[in-house]
Amino acid sequence: MGTSASQLPKDLLSEYQSNPFKERICLVFSTSDNKDGSLTFEDFLDLLSAFSDSATSDIKSHYAFRIFDFDDDGTLDRKDLERLVNCLTGDTDETRLTSDEMKQLINNILEESDIDKDGTVNLSEFQHVISRSPDFVSSFKIVL
Amino acid sequence: MGVTSMRRRGTLKTGLLPGGNVALEKIGLTEEDVRDEIMSEEQDLVKELVTMSTRECIQAIRDLPMCMEDKKNIRNQVLASKSSKKGFLLTCSADCSEQISLSLRRCGVGLSSARQAVRLWQGTMKEIGGRFGTSVLSYFSFLKWLLMFNTISFLVNFGFITIPQLVQTSGRSPDVRFTGLELITGAGYFNQTVMYYGGYINGTKDSDFKYNMQLAYFFTIAAYLVLCGVSLIYSMARSFRRNFVLSDLSSGSAWRLLCSWDFSMVNERAVRQRKNNLRVQLKESLSEMMQTNFLPVSERMKQLGIHLCTWVVSAGLAAGSCAAIYYLCQYNLQQIKVSQNPGNLKEEASTLLLPFVVSLFNLVIPLLYSLLSKVENYSNPRFQIYVIILRNVFLKMSILSILCFHWVNNVTTNVPMCWESYVGQDLYRLVIVNFFFSIFGSFFGEFLRRIIGTRCMPSIGIPEFDIATNVLDLIYAQTLTWIGIYFSPLLPLIQMIKLFLLFYLKKVSLNRNCQPPRRSGRAAQMQTIYIALLFFPSFVGALSLVAYTVWCLTPSDSCGPFQGLNTTFEAVSLWMEDTAIISEFSWAVWIYSHMIKSELFFFLLALIFLVLIYFFWQITQGRKMLIILLKEQIINEGKDKAFLLEKLRTFQNLSLVPYHAENVHGPQYFERTYQTESDYSEGYQRGACPEEDTPPFASSALMQAMMARRQAEEEDEEY
Repeated sequence: MGTSASQLPKDLLSEYQSNPFKERICLVFSTSDNKDGSLTFEDFLDLLSAFSDSATSDIKSHYAFRIFDFDDDGTLDRKDLERLVNCLTGDTDETRLTSDEMKQLINNILEESDIDKDGTVNLSEFQHVISRSPDFVSSFKIVL
Repeated sequence: MGVTSMRRRGTLKTGLLPGGNVALEKIGLTEEDVRDEIMSEEQDLVKELVTMSTRECIQAIRDLPMCMEDKKNIRNQVLASKSSKKGFLLTCSADCSEQISLSLRRCGVGLSSARQAVRLWQGTMKEIGGRFGTSVLSYFSFLKWLLMFNTISFLVNFGFITIPQLVQTSGRSPDVRFTGLELITGAGYFNQTVMYYGGYINGTKDSDFKYNMQLAYFFTIAAYLVLCGVSLIYSMARSFRRNFVLSDLSSGSAWRLLCSWDFSMVNERAVRQRKNNLRVQLKESLSEMMQTNFLPVSERMKQLGIHLCTWVVSAGLAAGSCAAIYYLCQYNLQQIKVSQNPGNLKEEASTLLLPFVVSLFNLVIPLLYSLLSKVENYSNPRFQIYVIILRNVFLKMSILSILCFHWVNNVTTNVPMCWESYVGQDLYRLVIVNFFFSIFGSFFGEFLRRIIGTRCMPSIGIPEFDIATNVLDLIYAQTLTWIGIYFSPLLPLIQMIKLFLLFYLKKVSLNRNCQPPRRSGRAAQMQTIYIALLFFPSFVGALSLVAYTVWCLTPSDSCGPFQGLNTTFEAVSLWMEDTAIISEFSWAVWIYSHMIKSELFFFLLALIFLVLIYFFWQITQGRKMLIILLKEQIINEGKDKAFLLEKLRTFQNLSLVPYHAENVHGPQYFERTYQTESDYSEGYQRGACPEEDTPPFASSALMQAMMARRQAEEEDEEY
């Protein structure tokens, strides 16, 4: 796999080709300057450590927030949530939710989790929602 | 307090820089300022870490959500500052203790990773979790947990009861030949071995081997049951707190569905299927919310009538099966009375009829229940699962209680020889036949259904792994084992072998015949319910039966370690009387006579616990009110924040123009232009919509605060 200084471009993680978040994961964990999502060995270790069994719920929710934050602005606004739902349900025309359903769904999500009613979900609100979903910690896991 | 603030600081850098560039460009802040801010936050973080002990420091650094390079950076700073603080006061002993603690830590880490490597079935369970998800995996972890209980029970029983007995009776051997049928019926050759209660004798009287088998038997089983109870209560409480109290019970399940995406799935087909299932579930939950539940009264009465009918039918089925089993038990007893030749093979094989019928009922009637539930119409699918589980548990527990009633009332008086061994043999047969029926059920439920679903009737499709039925089966078998510990101390060994084989059988059947479950979610809550079921009807029932046997029933006169006593517990009373003579243990005798034997003590204890429960309930009510008040407070503070930021923004807009003119020499200066995002999220361009023109809320608040502070500093310098 190369030395510790070599870079792993994001296409080579063949095991996770089917993971809908594969590009976001590579972007989030990459510390390279040119933002192309390539991972050094240390980034790869960070990735595995965050997805391992012994990572705390805080670390997992922190990284999950960054993965779900598609536009990297530090909050999950409506566009981020819409993209998240599309990622999880399928992006083709026949598998997408209708726009009415999407609006209703995002309204429900914001109603549940937006505590300070500013229209976005920030990190604390996200961590609060995660703390109430006990399935999250066991599903946010990659095992090799 | 320190740890949470450290976590906030950890997120600062990521919050500022990546998205911050967009905000920076709009406000007119230099990159240098941002880096200075980050450096000062880092210094504060390092200062906090230096005050902690080494182990806490290492754990805190590990918990920081930063990349590894930053963490190494911080750790080096902490070490540098610690060693500079110590200065030249490093003595030899301090150095040695550091080395020792470092090597101990490394040892601990090595041991824990070695323990991970030798854990049983680790690789298989990861595979199953990857292919089928966490809810199917929970069945296998439950199986492994039960295996641990049985292993401990077997080791304890074997070590303290069986080995001394084997040493005592090493000369004698049973006078019945071993035929193969014993493995299934448990009678014959096994009847006279240490397999059952009858094979144990209290040998203190005749030989010089001073091992009090009575006390050993009683206390070993009591200690094991107490240990089981404590660990079950602990697991149940912990699981309940994590999965029910802290989780959101409201029906708004959108977030739960989104957060339950299983990142460990690698199979492309499984991922596609999961996406489809999630979409279907989201649509279903949306349509449920949008649908109004105004059913007319006649519809509701009809629904209620159907529910009542199905409940009556299921209770009737359970009662019918109990009656049939009771009559079969009576018939068996009569057969024993009239039997001429006790060693007859045909008669021994006919004893298998009862377990066969019991297991048949346990297999067929739940299928009837699931057919019944299709007739009913439940609005909430989770409620439907709960009702099915409740009915199955009711059926299994009523069958078990009929059997226990029969054993306790009829067997003790009617069986000529060792009644405890008779009960032990019954339990052995039940366990063995249950195992065969599990194999049988797996064959029909999964293998044949897949064949039918793929070849003959493709509309049915490939079956899913029915977690509820399998887990209830495991609970039932474990109840039998717990009941049987008193009557057959080596029954846990049989259960261990059975669980071991069952794991591999279910794994193979799962891989070949089943598809991943369609409905995702709620695995954690179901896990809590299964643990609770294992505790409440199963363990408590077994414990009460064993306690009743020990306290009230007369042991048989001709066999076993307690022969000649009025009750089993009398052994303890006699022992206490003997120890009362020795003055050093008078405190133990006092405890026994005034606490364990007195009712007043337990009454007072129960009263104290009730008062404590009432207090804790009041505290919980108070905390619920506090949560509501705090949520309102957060909303109000959010409104305040928005208001203040608006004011700050208008204020800065007014003062921005003269500021531009003065500071033309600033390095890396950005113009206030709007720029579409280019590199970060490919293919996603934000159009210049009017509402998108304002900078992102969170990071801009920080930027503006920093800018205002710098303005204030420069104004101070001017004056």
